[in-house]
Amino acid sequence: MAEAKAGKPIWPKASAPLVRAVLAGHSALGLAFAALIFLVCFSGTVAVLRPEVLRWETPQAPVVHEMKPEAVTTLRDEALAKYPGAHHLYIYLPTEEASRATVMIDAVEGEPLKQWTANADGHLVSEYATPWTEFLQRLHFYLHLPPTWGLIIVGLTGVALLSSLVSGVIAHPRVFRDAFHLRWGGSKRLQEADTHNRLGVWGLPFHVILSLSGALLGLSTLMIGILGMVVFNGDVNKVYNLFLAPAPIDDPRPAPLPPLEGMFAHVAQQSPEARVTSVFFEHPGETGQSVMVTGETQGRLDRGDYWVFGGDGKLLEGGHSDSTEMGNAILQGLYVLHFGTFGGWVIKIAYVLLGIALTVVTTSGVAIWLARRRDKGKAAPGWERVWTAFCWSQPPAYALAALVALTAPAISLLPVWGVVTLVAVALAALWPPRMLSRVLRAASVVLIGLVPVVHVALYSGSYTDGVAWAINGILVAAALACAATFMPLRAEAKAKPVVAPAE
Amino acid sequence: MTGAQLLTALILLAASVGAGLLLRRAWSQRSASRAGLILGAWTVLAGLLVVAVVPMGGPRGVFIAATLISVGILGVAASNLQVRPARAAADKASLAPEPSDRQSRAWRGVLRFLLAGPIGGIAAMGVAVAWTVWLPADAKTRIVAGGLVAPLLWGALMAWTLSDDKIIRATAVLLGVAVVTFGIAAIKGFG
Repeated sequence: MAEAKAGKPIWPKASAPLVRAVLAGHSALGLAFAALIFLVCFSGTVAVLRPEVLRWETPQAPVVHEMKPEAVTTLRDEALAKYPGAHHLYIYLPTEEASRATVMIDAVEGEPLKQWTANADGHLVSEYATPWTEFLQRLHFYLHLPPTWGLIIVGLTGVALLSSLVSGVIAHPRVFRDAFHLRWGGSKRLQEADTHNRLGVWGLPFHVILSLSGALLGLSTLMIGILGMVVFNGDVNKVYNLFLAPAPIDDPRPAPLPPLEGMFAHVAQQSPEARVTSVFFEHPGETGQSVMVTGETQGRLDRGDYWVFGGDGKLLEGGHSDSTEMGNAILQGLYVLHFGTFGGWVIKIAYVLLGIALTVVTTSGVAIWLARRRDKGKAAPGWERVWTAFCWSQPPAYALAALVALTAPAISLLPVWGVVTLVAVALAALWPPRMLSRVLRAASVVLIGLVPVVHVALYSGSYTDGVAWAINGILVAAALACAATFMPLRAEAKAKPVVAPAE
Repeated sequence: MTGAQLLTALILLAASVGAGLLLRRAWSQRSASRAGLILGAWTVLAGLLVVAVVPMGGPRGVFIAATLISVGILGVAASNLQVRPARAAADKASLAPEPSDRQSRAWRGVLRFLLAGPIGGIAAMGVAVAWTVWLPADAKTRIVAGGLVAPLLWGALMAWTLSDDKIIRATAVLLGVAVVTFGIAAIKGFG
């Protein structure tokens, strides 16, 4: 494609010293957080498909389009009969996106929840596990660290990303002048700068939303703690109580389970357009029990309203949360925006593409720094090898974890992922970046390509949930995309001279 | 997503690509029509944010449009990919600004880290808590708004403290902001 002549810049001109100073800060912050930002962005990109991956891990669950209150009652009773004394039950009803019903049972405190699929009549069908989804979720939410600390670190990573976006925009005086330049294959520094800037600038709304919502969600525990300390005399529960459903007074004496029909009728009357999506039971069968019914209304940017009923089946005081109230709407909207669950498959695919873009922005940022050092005669080959190994270790590490989850679900996936990552980084001591990149990309092609093959073989292709085919298709596409990186790019016959890298 | 909404999404994507092509044309030409193309493209993009509300609903439509606009224009930028012959040496005639070389005394590095990290964070939290306490709105809205202010401000303070060479001034400002904001928040309390 012929390169066009750049027009007159319309972006306000920033002074050179300011740009240089901001670039120095942008560079320092980006380098300090590069690995964390990469981990969070890469895992977040895959985690966009978390609900679909969960269904892919359980592709033979019964298809359920609708569950009546009587069926939910049956499901509750069967679950409690199987696990008497369960502290909590979480029943998820079919939605427009997922035609299935599941129940999660908190049978023994401190142990993993028991998970079962159910049929349309509310009968338990089979126990299931989703180890890869859980591995992915824990990696993205708190990096497999203790949750409180992990969330804070991920939130802080969101702040650093947000800050990098701010400084990146200020330090980019040619933002519109270079708006469509995408030059590959010439100067390494120019190539990486073009990639970094195009993906960074045109994806900016997405990058800001993701980093801001991620920072808020991650730092919420810390912020609530500080707010409680400063204005509530250290009582953080006063802050939490504003947002959480009212808890019944703890009373473990046995009591009959409340009928659910009246609760469903109440929700239908209060919010006729809402579809009940989940029913949570707290301390079922005790005098101090409660039932939370959540109903989602299509077309809204939230996770639905909830109603909390007591053991007598009556709505508790303050038991209704309206998601259209300003505070609720913003908070829930941020959650929905962060995970891309507000626009069906179109937005999911867009989020995956933009997530890849943000991940590439991170890798190219470090690559610019490395290329700049090389240009100045201060090359850092060690860091170049480590960064190449670390980044390209993630696709095969995730794929191998998925293969282990499918074939040996009892094995913990964190060591699998960790070993692949560490081995790749260790190989950086032996091989140059080009070799590392080639070997790890080849491993990615093989391992990612194997995942759908093994999945189809395990389930003989007899899926009840069509989303399994969709995820397999995405995996095949990912393997082909990795394979495509081996294809040489054909240079244009007449290349124009380089004007300026604009990192 | 219903069939009508899917169709709307595809129209939004197509219109975004169209606006991106107008912008690219404006970028590539130094002609009299350049201003008109830029104005037209940005009008289309702004219009998409408004139009999307009708079939998609309130804020949801705006965010669906914003997401698809990014994808559409990135597609246009990708279509402009130019592959050049590989060169071993870097471009020595680069006009790009270089990051400034700053004094590298250890205490400045430590102070800069503290300013961008904990001190900036405390100052941002102070503003957020004061905002939460003083904002005239219901309790939940105030807390969520304060929650949004904190990371936004912390990010901005990080960008500032990591780029400003006058770090003693930055230290004084941040410590002052923290003391004042936590003070006025504690005085009023959460009424």
